Amino acid sequence: MAKDPSFAVGQSIRRIDALGKVTGEAPYPGDINMDGQLWMKIRFSDRPHARVLAIDTQAAEAISGVRGIFTAKDVPVNEYGLVTKDQPVLCGPGSTIPGADVVRCYADMVAVVVADTEAIAAKAVKLIAVTYDDLPPVFDPEEAMQDGAPQIQINLPKNILCHYRIRMGDMAAGWAQSEVIVEGEYDTGYQEHAYLQPEAGLGYIDEQGRVTVIVAGQWVHEDQEQIYHALNLPPEEVRVIYPAIGGAFGGREDMSIQIVLALAAWKLRQPIKTIWSREESIQYHHKRHPIKIYARWGATRDGKIVAIESTVIGDAGPYNYTSTKVLANANLMVSGPYEVPNIHIDTYAVLTNNIPTGAFRGFGAPQGLFAAEGQMNKLAEALNIDPLELRMRNTIREGSILSVSTPLPAGVSMPEVFEACGRESYWHQTEDGRWQRNSLKQPNNPALRRGVGIAGGFKNIGFSFGFPEQNWATIELHGKMEIEQVIVRQAGAEVGQGAHTVFVQMAAEAIGVPVEKVRLIGHDTAETHTSGSASASRLTFMAGNAIRGAAAQALENWKNEERPAKATYQYRPPKTTMYDPETGKAEPNFAYGYVAQAVEVEVDTETGHIRVLRVVSTNDVGRAVNPELVQGQIEGAVVQAQGYALMENLVSVNGKIRNPFLSTYLIPTILDIPPEVKSVILEYPDPIGPWGARGMAEMPFLPLAPAIAAAVHDATGVWIDAIPLTPDRVVAALRAKGIGVF
Amino acid sequence: MYPTEIDYHRASSIAEAIELLSQNDDAKLLAGGHSLIPAMKLRLAQPGLLIDISHLEELKSIFVSGDKISIGALATHAQIAASADVQSYAPALASAAGIVGDQQVRNWGTIGGNLAHADPASDPPTVVLAYDGVIHIQGQSGSRSVNAQDFFVDLFATALEPGEIITRIELSNSSSAKSAYVKLSHPASRYAVVGVCAVLEMNGSTCTSARVAVGGATMKAVRSPGAESVLTGSSLDDSALNAAAAAVKSDIEEFLIGDMSYPEDYRQAMAGVYLKRAVHAALGS
Ligand SMILES: Cc1cc2nc3c(=O)[nH]c(=O)nc-3n(C[C@H](O)[C@H](O)[C@H](O)COP(=O)(O)OP(=O)(O)OC[C@H]3O[C@@H](n4cnc5c(N)ncnc54)[C@H](O)[C@@H]3O)c2cc1C
Repeated sequence: MAKDPSFAVGQSIRRIDALGKVTGEAPYPGDINMDGQLWMKIRFSDRPHARVLAIDTQAAEAISGVRGIFTAKDVPVNEYGLVTKDQPVLCGPGSTIPGADVVRCYADMVAVVVADTEAIAAKAVKLIAVTYDDLPPVFDPEEAMQDGAPQIQINLPKNILCHYRIRMGDMAAGWAQSEVIVEGEYDTGYQEHAYLQPEAGLGYIDEQGRVTVIVAGQWVHEDQEQIYHALNLPPEEVRVIYPAIGGAFGGREDMSIQIVLALAAWKLRQPIKTIWSREESIQYHHKRHPIKIYARWGATRDGKIVAIESTVIGDAGPYNYTSTKVLANANLMVSGPYEVPNIHIDTYAVLTNNIPTGAFRGFGAPQGLFAAEGQMNKLAEALNIDPLELRMRNTIREGSILSVSTPLPAGVSMPEVFEACGRESYWHQTEDGRWQRNSLKQPNNPALRRGVGIAGGFKNIGFSFGFPEQNWATIELHGKMEIEQVIVRQAGAEVGQGAHTVFVQMAAEAIGVPVEKVRLIGHDTAETHTSGSASASRLTFMAGNAIRGAAAQALENWKNEERPAKATYQYRPPKTTMYDPETGKAEPNFAYGYVAQAVEVEVDTETGHIRVLRVVSTNDVGRAVNPELVQGQIEGAVVQAQGYALMENLVSVNGKIRNPFLSTYLIPTILDIPPEVKSVILEYPDPIGPWGARGMAEMPFLPLAPAIAAAVHDATGVWIDAIPLTPDRVVAALRAKGIGVF
Repeated sequence: MYPTEIDYHRASSIAEAIELLSQNDDAKLLAGGHSLIPAMKLRLAQPGLLIDISHLEELKSIFVSGDKISIGALATHAQIAASADVQSYAPALASAAGIVGDQQVRNWGTIGGNLAHADPASDPPTVVLAYDGVIHIQGQSGSRSVNAQDFFVDLFATALEPGEIITRIELSNSSSAKSAYVKLSHPASRYAVVGVCAVLEMNGSTCTSARVAVGGATMKAVRSPGAESVLTGSSLDDSALNAAAAAVKSDIEEFLIGDMSYPEDYRQAMAGVYLKRAVHAALGS
């Protein structure tokens, strides 16, 4: 196909949204206003678990300027949820759904107030008197799983939302072969998405009478579905539009303000706006799952892992959100990127009255890998084998069988990724081909100890476990003799990652025109078919294949003299399957991305502060459609993962978040980030990826926490199996081993 | 959050400020506003009247008189950090002022406002206490002075009486001593999680007198008599430093404060670590 290589896939063209974003022209949801708009404020639950007996709105209604107050009785179908519709839109009496009168966490909504100004709405919302009948709460997932624990959802005794089993090989044989066994108990904490733009939006009735919501999300058509279900409207009467989106990271996958904004606009037939404060944002959208993992691994003396046994318990909060999927993924990842013959795993998502947990970059893999790679590093120590060398002896390869008893999809590059990581960082190969760590220089100050750690991982691209995966694109070719303009309709969300730029590049490449000729019509349900969500590192892969398909057909139509030549294409990847309930046998995914990271840290053994000096992140992205954007994703993921590993400590006491501020929930700033992040971009094509591309945006998040934990051990000789590695936790662990004490 | 509505008056003199302050129970002085305004936004302070003194030139000067250095209450942290006289007479105060918050905070925040506010996480109180400073105060009934030792009473509480204003802070010349202030900064605000100031008189390698003050970890800036007595007469070797660190930890036991990020026991341990670091910094070792 004729093309100008400077405009094609593989070029770091400037982002198409860069100018608007740096000049402030690009409108984010909070920037958009309409004449005559009213303001909405939400009354959240005051209890972690209680039946709402009554909601008295009289005092609030009496305030001048209040235009409407809505409660459970006003929601036609009072339920929503991404995977399971198990959460009331508004909790309280008067709806037909059983259990909708119960609040199950502080993030539940009880009422919304609409008023002339934000101040009036804020005042009125406090005057709503809610009468609760407290129910016993439960906050610890391991307690919640016991007989007799308070039950949170009607049909879930012992609060077990899901239980996955992996039964592979013969455990007795595996343990018999094991010459060395290491055990660990790993704890990972909550994480807050902390996107730049807190939840905000505008609901109104558009010129065609559709209930319309302008909001930031990750999947316009899913938001639309959640809204029309709750309002009991036909799909075509609800419209969702995304303007510029200020970050997402999984935190906008579930609903926040979408349904209530639509409800209020639908009832009042007027534009209605709301903006959450940072405090509201931190308290009321879901978080990354805290997961507890018990692990026992056995290996032979020569470093072959022969047995893995694990129990994985995730705190789901009171509703599913995407917990059944996140824990399914953790279940797969907790045996690491290794081929092991005997594996026995039990994984649970357990309901509690804590804040709901759901999607967050990595989707269960960071937690699973924290345990798996921790075990691997401990094995290396116990066996006295270099940690990279041990990985090379066990890594998954082309044709390897996973814990789910089926081979990986073709295109496995884990060995190459590990090797590149070693070479580009702190390792060399000896003459007999073994990997060996280079020696490290220590600072003169004996309180400061440096160490190096390594970890790897892999993660699915696209929806897993039998979820119907698809992506639609439409392409129109305009012009007479020559193609003058290409219009691409593709709903995939530009959450800041650069998806729109990549869509345009791929369309330009597929049609053979410079990117300037491509115009994108994006996330508006009135203008596009579904793209699925901006999650699971899937958009480049999925939208790329859809754009390619649409482009091929459109070019065909162009040849046949159709003007404008138009084609719509639905891409469907190979089917996947859910775990077998007894054995876990499955074909969970159709594609993977591979990653390994080496990190050097300096531990102040007296204060417990850990400085990350250098990260080498090695990523197989299949094909870097835009290398600079890939690098941006790697660096961003490393910083976010560093926060997860070292600083981000969301404190929840009896279900209530105690530090909902960026002054107390600490995320990395420019002063904390590593002086050097080396992004090593590898391009081993995925056989079914567009131009060979794999997804990549989550992968560089995955191994950093276990790599840091390994580096801290290398520096100090102490294993710390709980993150975040806050200074007080580090000091306590070091002191327990007599280090840094006076 | 925005503060509630307030009246504002720009005082034309110290005397007028004192008069207004005495007449209005709910009045507060406004200097740099970097403690007061945030407190008002959080509704921790809700004054009805703000008396702005920030422009009163006579409270801004820093000068040396004999063996003392006198610092006006309205001298900003930036001004103190840059003052050659402070650097020479009280070097740890200059360096502490240079690591208060960030540049904006240092350009606005004043030492008088800082001491009056008595935030446990502030730096200057610890240093002024270690230098045995004197706080000069003026009120309707005249002037008085209070030793730093008696000035800091409790969490956000000082010896200031209603209607009183800090005019100056006076420190003796410590240029012959070795002194340093070191702190563990809060990552978000740079406030002290733990701050330690050591002022050491040396005769050769022997310490003839030591003053040690701790802040951040404690509800107010406090001295550590235990550490002072261990260090005095010692050659500041490792064993003396370890013993002093242990003494600091036990001296501050009753004053400890903590939060979610930095619990009490952690801060207590860090007071010991930072005492050692303060001594090393003072000695340049
Ligand atoms: C982001 C941030 C970071 C900070 N970090 C640090 C830090 O690292 N270390 C640190 O020490 N401080 C820190 N501060 C606090 C800052 O140093 C203080 O706000 C400042 O020194 C207080 O002085 P001010 O002039 O701003 O006082 P104001 O806020 O104007 O007043 C504070 C209080 O003192 C009273 N007052 C003011 N002047 C007088 C006077 N002359 N006599 C009697 N009463 C008076 C006021 O009525 C008020 O009650 C930080 C502040 C901010 C906002």
